Amino acid sequence: MPAPKTTLNPLRRPDGSATHSQNGYTIIGAVNGPIEVQRRDEIPDEAAIEVNVRPATGVGSPKERRIEQVLTTLLRNIILTHDYPRTLIQLTLQILSTPSTHSTLPSASSLPVLPALINTAYATLLAGSIRLSTTLAAVLVAVPKRFGKGEAVIVDPDPEEGGSELEAVARKGGLHVFAFDGRGEAVLAESEGDFGIEDWEEACEAARGVCCGLQDESPDVMEVEGAKRSMVRGLRELVKGEVEKEGRWRGEG
Amino acid sequence: MPAATVTTSPTPTPLSFPAPIFAALQPSSFLRAHLAPDSPSQPSLRANGRRPSEFRKPNINTGSLTHSHGSAVVRIGDTAVVAGVRGEILLADDIPNPPEREKRDFDTNSTRQESRGSGADPSSKGGGDADADAEADSLAHLQLLVPNLELSTGCHPSHLPGSPPSSLAQSLAQRILSLLHSTRLVPLQQLRILRPRARSSDLDDEGDEMLDPDAAVDGDGDGKVKGWEVVAYWTLYIDILFISLDGAVFDAAWGAVVAALGDTRLPHAWWDADRECVLCEEDGAQARGLGLRGCPVAATVGVFAPGRRGVVGGEKEEESWMLVDLDAFEEGLCREVVTVVVDCSGGGNGRIHRVEKNGGGAVGMGRMRHVVRSGEESWRNWAEVLGELGS
Repeated sequence: MPAPKTTLNPLRRPDGSATHSQNGYTIIGAVNGPIEVQRRDEIPDEAAIEVNVRPATGVGSPKERRIEQVLTTLLRNIILTHDYPRTLIQLTLQILSTPSTHSTLPSASSLPVLPALINTAYATLLAGSIRLSTTLAAVLVAVPKRFGKGEAVIVDPDPEEGGSELEAVARKGGLHVFAFDGRGEAVLAESEGDFGIEDWEEACEAARGVCCGLQDESPDVMEVEGAKRSMVRGLRELVKGEVEKEGRWRGEG
Repeated sequence: MPAATVTTSPTPTPLSFPAPIFAALQPSSFLRAHLAPDSPSQPSLRANGRRPSEFRKPNINTGSLTHSHGSAVVRIGDTAVVAGVRGEILLADDIPNPPEREKRDFDTNSTRQESRGSGADPSSKGGGDADADAEADSLAHLQLLVPNLELSTGCHPSHLPGSPPSSLAQSLAQRILSLLHSTRLVPLQQLRILRPRARSSDLDDEGDEMLDPDAAVDGDGDGKVKGWEVVAYWTLYIDILFISLDGAVFDAAWGAVVAALGDTRLPHAWWDADRECVLCEEDGAQARGLGLRGCPVAATVGVFAPGRRGVVGGEKEEESWMLVDLDAFEEGLCREVVTVVVDCSGGGNGRIHRVEKNGGGAVGMGRMRHVVRSGEESWRNWAEVLGELGS
């Protein structure tokens, strides 16, 4: 499985931008803000947040409206909106490429694309220097319960590998998306399928390990394992690199 | 008489408001004052008089719309919603790329027997697992379920009548559509209209009745008919109209959809070879139900945390309440909302079909169990009302 990959500020014009690849999806995000808000959307004591999601092909459908609503609710909680009263923070996410198994049917699950969108949105906000209350990391988890006894939870399944099985997993077992904040609390959980509460908890624990496994593993272990690093750690390295790049003029080496 | 007015005016009392003004000015403190009363003898109640974990009983009326094949009016508190199901016939020839599986021969015996079951009957759940999966894929591909949700009916001041579907309406319709498919509520076999595979000899010497699958099965079961093919499908247009909106939008809309689908009776339809079209029986006695799989119910729980203002996780643990079955006033105050769709019709512990949690991190593992338990309670609540309708 290719590890999630992020680039900060690939675009020059917007206040902040990022590209991110995860689960076979590549997404580019751009944020402008704080900018002037339409009178209709203005909130007296906090910033209005607008999220636009554009699909890889065609124009947006009710499916994109639903994803936008999920993201707006999530980000309103992460962005320190009270720091930007009577303004607008406008985030646009364009899906650049999808895995070959991606289904465009209206009834198809939107969960496989959601973690990539959340992580892109977060990286974009970071790049745009929007003040945030915490970090954010999202991951997709598949629990193929009924395929056979003792089958493990698959964190970050590769849609290209499993073929169209992801959809089947969603219906038989469970397909989950979890997003965790800096304190390791699940700020977003979207699940579908047919599962019990134990399955949900198992999936949640597995996702937490991947998203915020920073405290549990010592740096040495990370060096040895190499590929399996937590998302928070990956993010830290990314930001560190960006800060070093920005601070080159200081000559601090 | 200025002197008199001075003497009659009361001594300055501490600032106090009537309750409605308090609620409008400081909604958060108002609700908190109800949930955490000053004297311990007073119970912790919400502003609407319910306990934090108390559900409202839905009122359901089915079959109210005469021109639809199934309908339901659901009322929860001041939220009222009408759902109507209308079946329209889609000819198989008009489908550009039908799924391969739909081109095979069908065994009418098995199809017909199962189709006699109607309503929300848990025993009709099952069949081959792989088969059901492929069937669900076909149903999604054919797009035979078309829910549409209308909020601009004047149901609430914030939704102007006559305006295009708001993003809330669109996303609710999408949630219902994806839930209809992921729960596999409607079996595809009930939506197929079959005819015998055309063989030149059959068509010449057999009349109309041979082309009616029911006649063939119920009658002498003539050995000449080899297989059946799909000639058309029922497409179900599910229209959901909100008459009044006061919170619990999704719970009410989904409840109305399940009740309306449970009430749906599709007329008996067959292929008429002479006229080369699908005909429907006028007689309602032959109409059959959809034989829904299970009875999933949506329940919404909100977390009311007056201390946390837009910040995920304060430094210390803040007081918070879990409120079930929110009304619009409470929805405005709960940032974190969890919706679970639970089905207990299989007996034992409820199976979860959907979790949608967003807006905060207060609901972790332990509280999630609490939410699911609330969902199961809500299911019993709904199942009781839906069950009364069925009997």
